Amino acid sequence: MRKLILLALACVTLQGCAHLGVQPWEREVLARDDMQLDANALDTAFDDHIYFSKEGTSGGRGFGGGGCGCN
Amino acid sequence: MANNDRKIGVALTAATCSLLGMAPAASVAAEPESQQWDIDSAFLYYGESDGRVKDMSLSAHATRDFGDERLLGFDVSVDTLTGASPNGAIASDGPQTFTSPSGRATYETPAGEVPLDDTFHDTRVALNANWSQPFARLYTVNAGLGVSSEFDYQHIGANLGLTRDFNQRNTTLSFAMAFASDTIKPVGGLPLPLAQMGDTVEEEDDVVVPSRGGDSDTKTVLDVLLGFTQVLGRHTVMRVNLSYSDSSGYLTDPYKILSVVDPVTGEPIARTPAPGADGPVNVYLFESRPDSRRKEGLYAELRHDFSGKVLQVGYRYSTDDWDVDSHTLESRLRLPLGDSGYLEPHVRYYQQTAASFYRYSLPSAPLPEFASADARLSDMNAVTFGLKYGRETAGGNEWNARLEFYQQKAKAPTEFLIGNQVGNTQMPDFNAVILQFGYHFKL
Repeated sequence: MRKLILLALACVTLQGCAHLGVQPWEREVLARDDMQLDANALDTAFDDHIYFSKEGTSGGRGFGGGGCGCN
Repeated sequence: MANNDRKIGVALTAATCSLLGMAPAASVAAEPESQQWDIDSAFLYYGESDGRVKDMSLSAHATRDFGDERLLGFDVSVDTLTGASPNGAIASDGPQTFTSPSGRATYETPAGEVPLDDTFHDTRVALNANWSQPFARLYTVNAGLGVSSEFDYQHIGANLGLTRDFNQRNTTLSFAMAFASDTIKPVGGLPLPLAQMGDTVEEEDDVVVPSRGGDSDTKTVLDVLLGFTQVLGRHTVMRVNLSYSDSSGYLTDPYKILSVVDPVTGEPIARTPAPGADGPVNVYLFESRPDSRRKEGLYAELRHDFSGKVLQVGYRYSTDDWDVDSHTLESRLRLPLGDSGYLEPHVRYYQQTAASFYRYSLPSAPLPEFASADARLSDMNAVTFGLKYGRETAGGNEWNARLEFYQQKAKAPTEFLIGNQVGNTQMPDFNAVILQFGYHFKL
């Protein structure tokens, strides 16, 4: 299963590289809410805040977070 | 139902338009529903095992589209924190006494237990506002302001970003900067670097050496983010971010200490409290960190749709001049369930190396310039497993619930363990539960 997923991803990536991107009328899947890169924004904000206060690294997806004494 | 379909249609059109970067067609712009607040709200409970930190938080993220892709967003968050946090001292064969942060009381840790400071109670309020709008053709500009306040910490920040679309909007490049200015006002005053906890009376000349100097200090953080987003196909989108962060000023944790130990046995060194004083019975020093930190990071994320199932995979690498290098791997899989529900398993793995000045404890001499026993700066790995369930209501709103388990294993690098410290369980694992209830609606 994992190999299949990897293979599928590799195919998609390679196919994408051949002609990167889609035409405007091919965006019905990409336009879905669950395909947005910022879907789960509230979850990731909570998570970033938790991990900021519990681990030595923060940020990456967005800014480094912070604004918190976080003991 | 027809009404729902129309709402979904409007939402999809708006989403498509915004993705394409087009102004919505007149018919959509005229829809009164698009002139609504879109509100994502949630309650979060975070609880650590063994009576450690508990945090309850309420958050809302509200956005309003004023047409032509002009978006106003607000974030409001209130959280309240209680519980105990490791103070940095090592477990000892005897009971240990510590001065509370205020300096006016003491707390005790029984023999053999990792010392926890249970005097923390904090409430934090955070507010953010953000505005985003198109700027010339293919450009979008966004700007934001944020403040947050705790009784010992104030934060004010601003951010500015610019994005540009290329290649029929299949490629987006973005550049963003954020600046923050924070003020730290620790309870009981600012500890001096590596000063001893509890005032020390020098017996020879009877001079009191203060352990604290000043009330407050500041730190500034400059963040720069370069982003690259690419549509790879009808079902796949990816992004890569390069980030740089420069912090300077007071980066020390004013509530963390280190045990001073015998260089041979590794056992804490005893001290005698001043006559009549109820002070620590061992020698503890307040930690000291460098006053600057530069971090660089790489973040990559891929989102792929498998006929309705959406797989998200993210990886982050971070490195900094404190020698904390970390790898984070994270994945979510969103599985549709029935007509209007979904189930989303989540897994995350995190691993970091210790900061160059991390010490499990400090031999009595010589003292280094910088030292911290904060477990968050030691070697560490952590895993998170979670599951989220969400369901759309008949009115087009969504409620969801999320349950996650977090386990962290921190380990002092063996070269810093002295004498009897080797072989003892130095830092017990800690577990935490994250429980979240969310409601997404329009107003």
